[in-house]
Amino acid sequence: MKKRYIALVTAFSLLSPVALASDNDGWLETYNRAMFDFNYQIDKYTLKPLAKGYRAITNQDVRNRVSSFITNTKEPVSFANHTLQGNFKNALISVGRFLINSTLGLAGTFDVASGWGLKGKRTGFDETLATYCVPDGPFFIAPFFGPFTLRSAVGYGVDAYTDPVYWAAINDKNYSDKITWSYLGLNIITSREKALDLTDDLEKNSVDFYATMKSAYLQNRQKLNKCQSVTETPSYDFDFEDEDY
Amino acid sequence: MSKKILFALIGGFMLVCSNAKADVDTAKAEAFIKEVTHEGIVEIINAKATQAEKDARFEKLFNSALDLKFIGKFVLGRYWRTATEEQREEFIDVYRKLNVQTWSKRFDEFKGKEFVFEGTSPSSSKGQIFVNTIVPMEQAQPASVIWRVKQDGETFKIVDIIIENVSLAITARNEYTAFIKKSPDGINGLIADLKKKISQ
Repeated sequence: MKKRYIALVTAFSLLSPVALASDNDGWLETYNRAMFDFNYQIDKYTLKPLAKGYRAITNQDVRNRVSSFITNTKEPVSFANHTLQGNFKNALISVGRFLINSTLGLAGTFDVASGWGLKGKRTGFDETLATYCVPDGPFFIAPFFGPFTLRSAVGYGVDAYTDPVYWAAINDKNYSDKITWSYLGLNIITSREKALDLTDDLEKNSVDFYATMKSAYLQNRQKLNKCQSVTETPSYDFDFEDEDY
Repeated sequence: MSKKILFALIGGFMLVCSNAKADVDTAKAEAFIKEVTHEGIVEIINAKATQAEKDARFEKLFNSALDLKFIGKFVLGRYWRTATEEQREEFIDVYRKLNVQTWSKRFDEFKGKEFVFEGTSPSSSKGQIFVNTIVPMEQAQPASVIWRVKQDGETFKIVDIIIENVSLAITARNEYTAFIKKSPDGINGLIADLKKKISQ
């Protein structure tokens, strides 16, 4: 099942005509705003209540354990991408973290490695592409998934495909779907729970929620920009006098 | 080109560079942010006071530390030029109120946390500098919080806060200009909507 959803995301990101346009008042913005509203309704009636329910029936410690478990399953993906980025020190740290936390950390539910000075740095294929100066591409809202750029969508698809849980699932003929969907569900609900306060706050104080989300999303992605020259100013060092910035 | 002219050009260039660097007192700018964050955490977040008292203290700190008029002008973009003096004043007023209300709640999330100072970075704008801080997180990588500070004589003011590379000034500008573009009432529509947000 997961194969289908990965294929869907990857195909959507690669074949979508958004590659030919930018979100600037044209049809793409019209599409994005419509899709944003669609996703908002889906979130309002499904994801958000589920995330609130998850928060209600668990305490912070339990949520930390779940979050730690998920983070640990992503270490092999980080290892592969740190290696592809030529960052061998971080790659070794990822290996060390995975081995320590999977064993002494009880399947990753406890982050023992951080206590030993092995602080993790998560990375993915999106960042790897950024390292090789692959441009971000246009911004778009994917149905059910939310905001992406062309590069982040490809990165998302590749990360999902290289996730060890996915490979563990397809090797287990009897429980393949159960493992895949449970893991996917856990990922989505924990991510949504973490973002509950932030999204509520942004929504409450925004006069244009879509514009706020798009602006914050794209600015945040600038930190992945590895090909900026030393003399280039960071994205947030704008000129206050420039009224068209 | 003779050597003399070349040396004069290099000398002139170096003089310009050294002036550009010297136009902000980096130590004082950093000390200013340390003072603001210390006051915010010790005397507001961790203080044993009623919520109303904390809100009042936060509003005072917010108004004295941030140059809201400077930020507000940027946030309206090209619409600032076409706005009447009355609209400008009204916008700054509601923008200030909404920010105080929003940030007094957001600031509470820093309870039990601390800002670790990591030096300063130059800004391409004259009289401005970035003070770099990080906030260590329990279950995640440290969050980066960068303070853009403007020096005017001996006075320092915050003109932008950049959290995880997201500039609050740019985000507000993108949001407000998008709203004005779509609103049939233009700036007045924005002001009316911001008032609604404050009263919610």
